[in-house]
This record gives sequence, structure tokens and C-alpha cells, in this order.
Amino acid sequence: MLKPKLIVDGKRLDGRAFDELRPIKIEADVLKRADGSCYIEMGKNKVLAAVYGPRELHPRHLQDPSKAIIRYRYNMAAFSVEERRRPGPDRRSIEISKVSKEVFEAVIMKELFPRSAIDIFVEVLQADAGSRAAGINAASVALIDAGIPVKGIVTSVAVAKVDGQLVLDPMKEEDYYGEADLPIAFLIRNGKIESITLLQMDGRMTKDEIKRVIELAKKGVMEIYRLQRDAIMRKFMVEEDEG
Amino acid sequence: MRKIVLPGDLVATNSKVAGQGTYVENGKVYAKYLGLLDKDETQVRVIPLKGKYIPTAGDMVVGITKEVTANGWFVNINSPYQAFLPLMENPEYKSNKKPNEVLDIGDAIIARVLNVDPNMKVTLTMKDKMCHPIRLGRIVAINPARVPRVIGKKGSMIKMLKNELGIQIVVGQNGLIWLNGDAKKISIVEEAIYMIEEEAHTEGLTDRVAEFIKRRKGDVEAKTNS
Amino acid sequence: MKAEDILSEIKKDYVLAKLKDGERIDGRKFDEFRKIEIHSGIIQKAEGSALVKLGNTQVVVGIKMQPGEPFPDTPDKGVIITNAELVPLASPTFEPGPPDEHSVELARVVDRGIRESEAIDLEKLCIEPGKKVWIIFIDIHAVDDDGNLMDASSIATISALLNTKVPASRFGLGEDFKLPIRDLPISVTSLIVGNKYLVDPSKDELSVGENTLTITTDKNDNIVAIQKSGGYMLSEELFYELLDVSARCARKIREDYLKIII
Repeated sequence: MLKPKLIVDGKRLDGRAFDELRPIKIEADVLKRADGSCYIEMGKNKVLAAVYGPRELHPRHLQDPSKAIIRYRYNMAAFSVEERRRPGPDRRSIEISKVSKEVFEAVIMKELFPRSAIDIFVEVLQADAGSRAAGINAASVALIDAGIPVKGIVTSVAVAKVDGQLVLDPMKEEDYYGEADLPIAFLIRNGKIESITLLQMDGRMTKDEIKRVIELAKKGVMEIYRLQRDAIMRKFMVEEDEG
Repeated sequence: MRKIVLPGDLVATNSKVAGQGTYVENGKVYAKYLGLLDKDETQVRVIPLKGKYIPTAGDMVVGITKEVTANGWFVNINSPYQAFLPLMENPEYKSNKKPNEVLDIGDAIIARVLNVDPNMKVTLTMKDKMCHPIRLGRIVAINPARVPRVIGKKGSMIKMLKNELGIQIVVGQNGLIWLNGDAKKISIVEEAIYMIEEEAHTEGLTDRVAEFIKRRKGDVEAKTNS
Repeated sequence: MKAEDILSEIKKDYVLAKLKDGERIDGRKFDEFRKIEIHSGIIQKAEGSALVKLGNTQVVVGIKMQPGEPFPDTPDKGVIITNAELVPLASPTFEPGPPDEHSVELARVVDRGIRESEAIDLEKLCIEPGKKVWIIFIDIHAVDDDGNLMDASSIATISALLNTKVPASRFGLGEDFKLPIRDLPISVTSLIVGNKYLVDPSKDELSVGENTLTITTDKNDNIVAIQKSGGYMLSEELFYELLDVSARCARKIREDYLKIII
């Protein structure tokens, strides 16, 4: 297929500005059985996250006597993309699960729960570029909803280079035809960006561009961070006001 | 109303006041989990809204025996960690008895957490006047984070439930609660406890629970009379 | 024995105590379903979809379609392929991995209801006899298992099929058209406890044992699928009673929820 023009009259295909996120909706505590859960929509992405744990880990040889084991499973529903995908993990899902797990290994106070497991499950019901970031954002809220001790809130977004322009939170066409894509996650504490917890890139960019990408991403994650907080506050404030 | 804090929220700048539910980094005190902020001059605490039961020495718990060994019993205490009750910590154990004649798989007990080692190996004891095997009544399970609310300020909620219905209640810190007495009254308390769990952080809860109990008592009496 | 099992054991006493008083723990009648919510068309990338909430139980069903080869014995009919995923997100007891016996049973019972009621007019899904027909993939994705995934999946499947558009234009096969649906099969699952039955059991209720009977009926009250699940003895009287109860419950669901969708 021929690559379409992705930037027209200084605007993106969906009319967004370069530094504008897609519409985001976040709801905390949406599943009864899970210890913590979250539903997120980022553009056309629709993603559910659930946290179970800390819980007993079997078989016993998997246990770590000094800390909890973190497990992360990113899974796409068969109907989440145009062409039906065969259920079960493929190589892409396995890689996403690994790097996402490492995000949370860095922020969960896992030494408080020796020999246990904390399981994070992410189900992508509909995917449209950025589903790993959406999954991480939802997982972060689900962990907090589960009452698990963490250093702060993790927030993730991607930045892409399309038609030579750096754009925040690329949608599917920008991701597919773009020159570069950089998903990133930060630990945010008390409203302040503390450190990078996920960083990947494919494509080609200069050092200067990368620096600008990071700045753009920082702007994006601060907006998402506020929505993540709101989602939790809304849930627990309502609980307080009832009756 | 207490303020809700999220993990990473700055709750104090003096590390000396750091209490439960907080962590210190570079002299600053942050919340470590979702909870209600409880702050005075000497201490800052975060009271959790959710979370699993993690045992601490001294806790009273209700558990169910899961495995009998020659040295004692493994007990499920509704936690990521199974607990162990050594033979010598059970006053009912005599050397001429087999362990399973004293406590068998499926038997429930009220016990105290004697020790938790750094690897979270949990040891229980029943050498305490509150502790005993559970042979009667019923066990109710709630979210462990809601236990303080079921107990109430200085035990006010529990006292009220006991006075109104005259049944025995032991609240385990692990979210398991033992009820013993008249079966109909147990059912009323059970429903009241679920109500407390559900509405744990709302205003005027004690009054609403009292009202609920009066109404349910009335229902039961009306049924028996008709 | 994990921590969650202890909770189920404890709930069991409560369920049985209530049952002795002739009540269910949530105050429902014995033939009463939990509240049903249907959100249709929530997955735009699927040809049809629905999220169904049955009390706290949640299931998403997505329908995907593509041209493919017919079965040799039905050369002029479309093909239905039903698959269920019990992902570990939905329950503390679900494990990742290939479909286990529960998800296979779930998919097969739902599939039987759709197939045997002839809910989909498969003859209208023939593109070139013997060579090319439409394949319908029904993917059941359990999201929150608070009991009775079976009926939640059955309602979600027919709801998703009802809003399915056959993507003919995407494959250069003419204009898109509505999937031809001519029946509304609904399954009704009951938990059997001794000589009593509890329709649409919740997870707490299932703590007394997972002995269930599922009866699927079509819009004319014909029985199109039956599944006894669990190692228990079913009395003939109870079975006959449940045939009536199930047809009645299914009719009510059809009238209350599915009429609006059509």
C-alpha cells in the first residue's frame, strides 16, 4: 500500500496537534474477582488490567525467599485487530510482557512480600497503536487499587516521527508508516517525573530529536498521570460519600 | 473526612514522623499505598483502603488447618503466607495423642501470631486465653483492610453488635470473624458485617448498622410470631 | 490450598444456611437471573461484538468473519468456529495456557445452542458452492468470572451476532450486509443442590459445589442444547421441572433484552 501523507496543513490525520494526546478514559476497580483492576481507553485502544496478589506462589521452586516475583501477561483478544489473531502469546506479546514486567519490578516494594507472587494481567480488547502504553497505564492504576505498596505512579506514552515531525501518542497509521516510534514510561512521584522505567525505540532519529521526543513524552505523561489519579480518587471518593 | 492519598504522595518532610503505610527517601516521607491520611504532630500514617492480610507478631487470627505433620499443623490464615502451629504451642496437645486427634484437616482455630521471621515464615500459638479450636458457630470473611471498621473506635461497633444480639464475636486481624450463638442472630450479625465492609468509610455508619439490626430483629420476631 | 479457597469454604456455610431458610444469599428467587446489561458493538474492529454483565460476571464476545473453505459435507453453507478464552485476568483460579476442559466445554455448549437452533442462516453465507463460504469466528473472552460464565457467554454471543455486519467489501465481495439471524437461542444454567435448583448461580453460590445443568431453548421454546456438568445424580422430576423453568427464564431474557436489539 502507498504511504499516505500523514501531516496535512500542520495537522495530523485525526486533526490533532503534534503534542496532543488521543481522548483518554480511565476507570478504576471495574472487576469483582481481581484484587485490583482498571479499564482504559486511549484513542481506539480498549484495555483491561487486573492485579492478583501478593499471593502464594506455586510451584515452590519459583519462590524467591527475599522478595515477591512479579509476573506480567500482555494478551490480545482474538477480535482486537482487523484480521482475527490466533489466541495465545506470539513473540511480540512475549517481548511486551517482559519489558512491562520490568517496569513494575522497579517500582513495587517487592521485598515486603518474600516468597509470594504479584500477577498483573493485561487484556487488549481493541488495539490501535500504543496498546502497551495503555496496558502499563491501566496496570499502574490496578496495582494501586489492589493496595500494593509502590514508589509512585507509572505512566507511559509513545512518541513517533512521521513525515519528519515528532508527534505525541501516535495512532495506527502514524505508527505503521512513521519513520520512528519510541514508547516510554516514567515513574511519577508527588506530581514530579522521577525516572524512566521503560524505553524502547525502533526507527531512525538524531540525538537532538531523541531529546525533544523525551520532552514531548513528559508533557504527555503528566496529563495521563492526572487522569490516573482522578480515576482512583473518583472511585474511592464516591465510596466515602455514599449513604 | 480524612484525605485520600496515593502511592508516592508526599505526606511529611520530617522523616521522624514516618509511620505505617509510609516510606522515607532522602529525608522525605511518602505514602506507599492507597489509603487515608492520618496525621498529627508526632506521627504520619496511611490507613490502607485495600490489600491482603500480612501477618505481624501479636495479631489475633482465625485460621483453618490445612495439613497435619508430626511437628504441628499448617494453617491457612487468609494471607499470601501459610502459618505453622507447632505441637508445643497448642495446650490441647498431649504426648499420648496423635496430632490429628487434636486438630484435623479442615478444623478452624482462633490463634495468635507468635513470630514472623524475615522470610515470612509465620508461627502461631494457642497459649492465650482468647485462643481455642472452633467447634461451633460460623466464620465470616471480609476484606482485611476493613477490619478496623468492624471493630470500631475502641471496639464500639463490636460492643454494639454483641449487646444488641448477645452473641460471641471474635474478629481476626486477617479478615475472618468467628460468630457463635443463636443461628438466626448469627445471620443478622453476618449481614451487618457485610454492610460494614461495604460502607466502611461512610459517615454515621454505627447508627445505620444499629438501625439495620433493630429492623432485622423485628423481622425475625414477626416471622416467629406468625 | 490457596488463600482464595478458604474464602470459598467459608461462603459455603452461609449459602447452605440461607438455603435451609429457603433463601438465596442475595435475596433472589430461585428462578431469578441477576441484573443483565448488554453493551452492543463495543469493539469497532470486530464485525460484531457485545459486552454482557450478568451481575458482576462480565464477558466480551467478538465476531470476526473471513472467506474460507466450506466443510465437504456442507459445501454451500457458512462455517461457525467458536472459541472461548478463560484468561487469568478473570479469576484467581484461571491459569494462562492452552484452552482447558472448562473453556472447551463453554465454547462447545454455546456453539451448540447457536448451531442447533439454526440461529444463523448459513446458506446465505455461501460465496461459491464447494469453494468459498464465510467463516464466522465467535471468540468468547471471559473478563470477570463471578459465576455462570455459560449464560453470560450465551447472551453475549447472540447479542454480538445480532449486530454483526458481514465485511464483504473488505474482501472485494460486494456490499457489506447484516448477518442473517433467525433465532435467539438462550442458555439457562442452574446450580443443583440436593433436590433444589438455583438459576444463574453466582460464584459464592457455586462454592457449595459446581453441579450444574444448562438447558438452551430457541424462540419457540424448543430445547436445542443440554449440558449436565459435574459429578452428581440428577432426578428425573427435577430435570422436567428445569425444562419448564429454563424455557420460562429464556423467554423472559429474550423479551426483556433482545427484542430491543433486533
